Amino acid sequence: MTPALLSLAVAILGGAGLALALPGKARPLIYAGYTLLAGAGAMALMLLAEVAGGGSQIVYFVILSAIGIFGALAMVVHPKPVYSALFFILVVVATTGLLLLAEAEFLFAAVLIIYAGAILVTYVFVIMLAQQPGDLPRYDTDARAPFLGALAGFTILGILGTRLLSDDVLGDEAMAAAQVESGPPGNATLVGLELMTTYVIGLQLTAVLLLAAMVGAIAIARRRPEREAHEASPFALPTDSNESTESTESNPNAGGA
Amino acid sequence: MLVGYVVVAALLFTIGLVGFVTRRNLITIFLCTELMFQGIVVNVVGFARYPLSGGPPTYDGHVFALFLLAIAAAEAAIALALVVLLYRYRGTLDANAWKLLKES
Repeated sequence: MTPALLSLAVAILGGAGLALALPGKARPLIYAGYTLLAGAGAMALMLLAEVAGGGSQIVYFVILSAIGIFGALAMVVHPKPVYSALFFILVVVATTGLLLLAEAEFLFAAVLIIYAGAILVTYVFVIMLAQQPGDLPRYDTDARAPFLGALAGFTILGILGTRLLSDDVLGDEAMAAAQVESGPPGNATLVGLELMTTYVIGLQLTAVLLLAAMVGAIAIARRRPEREAHEASPFALPTDSNESTESTESNPNAGGA
Repeated sequence: MLVGYVVVAALLFTIGLVGFVTRRNLITIFLCTELMFQGIVVNVVGFARYPLSGGPPTYDGHVFALFLLAIAAAEAAIALALVVLLYRYRGTLDANAWKLLKES
């Protein structure tokens, strides 16, 4: 099968499987979705093995891609958000493995530490903060418009696949032009040089952006409710009358400034 | 080898896109955004390692991925602060609780 046709089959089978496997349907439909996803996954791995003519690294590439795609599907399909976060850590490990295969050692370490170590820990903390006791709530067990969502996403994938893998992009002369020699050593040195010379303004702007985000996050999350004696829930925000009387009491001279 | 990276990136991005559109839990929606970012990182590093011009590997893709990492971290911080605030307003993490624009 040509790669373009194979990618189209992956898109169709994967879209149908994901639409069926999203939570909120009867058990047999979900299991049918899992089966379709397994078939689509196997075809995707065959497609990758056919397209990536990398020689000795192909086994690692296919294995890491398989782990990544399985983690991504499990993350999107699982009802519980904690499991989604943990499967996303699996995806990050597989993705950084692919980065290591592409000789990007610095990005491998940086992405792994920052994503799995910082961002995902923050996500798990917030998930634990917003837990509700008892069974899973409706918004976890139901997906909204699964067929339309899968149709939209996998239409894009089908178009990308069939155009990208057709002969005029993947033909012999295009592949011959993409031969590469091994790169120079010192990956972190070279990335740092680019960052400090060509992209130094972007670096400074990113630092300012991070500072602004940190200040903004603290400001947003700091709006703490007043603990009135008659308030039922400690998480309720104050009503409008409380806020207006408090502001006029505390700043009697601030009106009209 | 470039096409292999691009195909994996397309798959990760599409799965993240479908999850973003479909799930109702606010936290899961933002988690799928991070999955889309992972796809973009793989794509851009693949193009840096195997440039289309056929020369030695460049590092522009790596710098792009670093900036993307910083922006993803900032976005995660603000998004989670917003999610906590929205949870305090309505007591639910449901995205459908915010589908009407009227104040309650």
